[in-house]
Amino acid sequence: MKRRELFQKALSVGAAVAAAGILRGQSSSSTGPAGGSRGSQLVAIVTGPFDTSSSPNGVRPITNTPQYATYVRIQAHPGQEGKIAIGGPAMASATGNVANSAFVELWPNWDGSMDSGQSDTWILSDPGWLNTINLADIYVWPEIAGETPVITAFQLV
Amino acid sequence: MTILSPSAVSGPLTVSGAPVPIATSSTLVNHLSVKPRLGQWSKVLIGGANLGTDESNAMSVLYPVPNGGRADAFVVQDQGGQNTIDLSQIYVYATIPGDTPMVEAFEYKTV
Repeated sequence: MKRRELFQKALSVGAAVAAAGILRGQSSSSTGPAGGSRGSQLVAIVTGPFDTSSSPNGVRPITNTPQYATYVRIQAHPGQEGKIAIGGPAMASATGNVANSAFVELWPNWDGSMDSGQSDTWILSDPGWLNTINLADIYVWPEIAGETPVITAFQLV
Repeated sequence: MTILSPSAVSGPLTVSGAPVPIATSSTLVNHLSVKPRLGQWSKVLIGGANLGTDESNAMSVLYPVPNGGRADAFVVQDQGGQNTIDLSQIYVYATIPGDTPMVEAFEYKTV
């Protein structure tokens, strides 16, 4: 390889490292790593029962500001009795049956008597383990006000 | 930047008597799931353009969920991280006309 080609190759490697640094940088309009980035450590950024009762119509995005995850899981809370609707931003302004604007519904698991006690669960992950799922675009609506689906989201930082 | 975003096609899909494509024109997505609507009693068939109402050529046959528990679902995702699943080539049929299986689709977008 000629000296000029070696120099160009070294330059392109440097540019790739700089781009990776930019991807991991904070943005003023979002929380955490930028969308499409991929870190080296899996961190849980949302966990536990998710309460939507203080939001208009009981519909709430998983996060209020954009935050990009690589994996999100929403589970009907065992022991609770209502369906859970999951959808996109159209759910925020839905009237009537909010579930008609959803893309997934989860059945309740009120007493563990069905399916060996397993709860209905929705999972979405990026196949390349990139932080591409904007949690602010995923809306959740429990059919029964005050019920709390269990939500987990992971991000690679 | 690239994000995995809900497709505008997502939501309840009305099926009235014959298999219908999920999208009427070519729509490429990365992730697709079809699930019976909770509280409805249709068996839901999924297939290609040659899907028959007698389950011939079905890729998947989903049972309704009568009374709680986990709902059956058809799920496919391009593990290579590309939008390769054409929703106009995936047909859905519900055995009770007017039922609305839930379609969930996510696509990569550059924003």
